[in-house]
Amino acid sequence: MSDYVFLQSQDPFTETQTLAQYQLIHNLATKDNRVTLYLIQNGVMPARRGALCKPFDLLCNQNINVVADRFSLAQRGIELDQLKSGINAEEIGVVIDAMLRGDKVIWN
Amino acid sequence: MQQRKQLTFAFMDPPFESERTVSFFRLLDAALDKNADVCVFAYEGAAALAFAKQAQHGNAVHGHDLQQEDHPLTKTWIKALQDKASFKGLRFEWVNCGLCVDERGVNESIDDCQRGGPSDFWTFAENAFNSLTIGTR
Repeated sequence: MSDYVFLQSQDPFTETQTLAQYQLIHNLATKDNRVTLYLIQNGVMPARRGALCKPFDLLCNQNINVVADRFSLAQRGIELDQLKSGINAEEIGVVIDAMLRGDKVIWN
Repeated sequence: MQQRKQLTFAFMDPPFESERTVSFFRLLDAALDKNADVCVFAYEGAAALAFAKQAQHGNAVHGHDLQQEDHPLTKTWIKALQDKASFKGLRFEWVNCGLCVDERGVNESIDDCQRGGPSDFWTFAENAFNSLTIGTR
């Protein structure tokens, strides 16, 4: 078992490769790895309630820790109470905490 | 006393182009907040981030002169991170890819940024507790 943190900067509405990235995250989580999905930049867009993206919602309903970057949310005028259920907002320092724990941190 | 850990970052985006640049600098700042030693390898377009001749400008569309616009420069952000690391007694190393700066004519970097090559990134990564590479696409 490994600990992965994906910094997800791309969003599925403008970047088709995002779906392949989601698939990898899904597969890692199903293989009993601990996976955190840190949404940053436009990566926060599917986190809004009402945003239609089934592959993203699948990740949210898996054993994956889905976290949104507070700064990216604020830049886009997304309030915390507009996030889908189970998604928390955190400062970017949690990514550094993960690096200092030795997690595998990957930029998408 | 907890031993300090070194984190290595590789970055490729040029200044003033991508939101990734802001995210990258936020990560560096957060790493210093967490008392990590930081090593950066600036590759491809990122080799221009520390270019000393970057200059602020006014913005007629905004109706701002130079002071009012206060346009952010990446060389200033790097200097701020250098100063923060120095104040906290942390290591902050910045190496530009020499070939990349030559190609772009941006060899005049601010103080304490070094000229190097991909082998420096290898050494940084080998000695780091953890590394993060932020590619373009």
